[in-house]
Amino acid sequence: MTDRDDLPDVNGYSRASVLISAVVGLAVAGLSLFWAQGFRVGYESLYRVNPSVEGGGIGSDWVFGNTIPALDFLIALIHAADVIMGAFILVMVFIHWAAFQRLAGQMRDPGEDVSEAVAADGGSPTGGDGQGGDSA
Amino acid sequence: MSNLDHGKFTRVTTLFHSLLGLDVFLLFFTGYAIMFNDELWWMLTLMGGASGVTAIHRITGIGLVALVVFWITLQLISSTGRSNFSKILPAKDDIDAFIQDIQFVLGRADERHPSARQFAGYKADEVPLLSYIGKGVVAIFSIELTLLAISGLLIWSKTGLAAMFQTKAAAMAFVTFHGLLGVIMLMGVMFHVFEHGMHPAFYPVETKAFIPRSMVPEHHSEDDEEPDTTGIERLSLSPSWRSVSTIFGAMTVIGIVSVLIGSIFDEGYPVPRELAIGGGPSSILLTIGINLGMVVLGVGLVLSMYGNVLRIRWEQQLEEEREPPAAADGGEPQTDGGQPESDDTEN
Ligand code: HEM
Ligand code: HEM
Repeated sequence: MTDRDDLPDVNGYSRASVLISAVVGLAVAGLSLFWAQGFRVGYESLYRVNPSVEGGGIGSDWVFGNTIPALDFLIALIHAADVIMGAFILVMVFIHWAAFQRLAGQMRDPGEDVSEAVAADGGSPTGGDGQGGDSA
Repeated sequence: MSNLDHGKFTRVTTLFHSLLGLDVFLLFFTGYAIMFNDELWWMLTLMGGASGVTAIHRITGIGLVALVVFWITLQLISSTGRSNFSKILPAKDDIDAFIQDIQFVLGRADERHPSARQFAGYKADEVPLLSYIGKGVVAIFSIELTLLAISGLLIWSKTGLAAMFQTKAAAMAFVTFHGLLGVIMLMGVMFHVFEHGMHPAFYPVETKAFIPRSMVPEHHSEDDEEPDTTGIERLSLSPSWRSVSTIFGAMTVIGIVSVLIGSIFDEGYPVPRELAIGGGPSSILLTIGINLGMVVLGVGLVLSMYGNVLRIRWEQQLEEEREPPAAADGGEPQTDGGQPESDDTEN
């Protein structure tokens, strides 16, 4: 993909399949753009639902209200899904938060003397090469 | 030992992840500046008002269509993709891992299950391609992004929308539906940022999604003994971790709760929403909370870029290390004088 191809990079994906996928992706995106928008360029011609237009927008001509019950149901359903998933995601946040606290407890404190702490379990602490984060 | 840990992503996947993240963050910022315009009025203004925001949302929307279709195609036509398919399906290990995570938190287990482990260290051989969280993330994000792309395109298309809905109000209801759909994604990404930004061994960012696995040397312990631990006890905690992870954790929770509450009370349906600032039941607290949520996303965006900076540095370091042989075939990659040995000391 770049000038670094000869580095030890055993790509899992062949160049051809990446290329084909990229072409397909761009083609479908282009087609959907055409379908949604036509080739009228310039956003002036964008179809705007305009919920957020200053001084008006959706509210102003929301006269009849939604008359499609299925949509009402869909919105109620998605609200419920949001709440259930939200609660679940919060549980996950708390589990991870607590787990991280425990893991942090297993690690060395910032100031701790490295050589001493290691002696117990032997092995060489190849410190110093902690790329990718500040393990300093 | 290094806290780089074993990468699992290929280079293509890391690149895809970064592009997807960038695009989705922009969709979030623009989409929720519309939905929560009471609370995020400043974002709306900053991005060019209603017209600017919707234009950016559409452009990035098309970007999302391209990215999603690219990925689906790649998974279907490549053998790597097809062979990975079974690895994203839930298995019994995932339930075990979830239960063990709870036990770990309660102090009844000494370590996290391999299917939950983010920091694998010496025990990398045990760790599957995706953790149980990873599988959930893949499932939820795939479903969400597909539905969002389809509903987004429907909203966009004048004819598509007109064919489906007779009144503008009904059309608006569908826009609301599209926005509410994204709320799950929004909350999920906040968690995702917390999970991969605040792990004590990787803080401030887990590089697995940014540095391809091919570039990370495999570590095997010298003797053939089974390792007892992941080796996490050899890593030093960053001095700022405790305070930063506490603050960021709180922000993540507040952000999730606030967008959830906002999505229920401030989505503008079925009653027309007052569009002036202060309209609707929005309160100061909700405003602060939703803005904190946006800060969490902003941090995610920064971390994702930072992850790529780390990858570039790591690439330079790899190149530097093999400088002698490389000299032979002369002039190729530009190494603009980074100091590879010391790149673990920033911050
Ligand atoms: C909207 C933005 C993002 C999307 C849609 C996204 C999506 C994903 C998905 C689907 C996965 C694979 C499943 C998993 O392992 O969890 C993943 C993995 C990962 N993401 Fe993200 N991501 C986003 C932003 C970020 C950010 C901001 C970070 C950094 C803080 C990040 C760090 C990671 C890491 C480290 C992994 C690898 C986990 C592993 O394999 O162990 N992601 N992401
Ligand atoms: C992560 C993905 C996405 C998220 C989180 C998202 C979120 C949102 C939100 C919150 C709104 C405002 C709804 C409201 O007024 O209450 C919105 C509107 C909209 N979205 Fe998306 N969206 C996403 C993807 C897409 C895609 C892929 C497209 C198109 C290809 C799209 C097209 C639109 C359009 C046309 C609107 C209406 C804007 C207007 O009022 O003029 N969205 N989106």
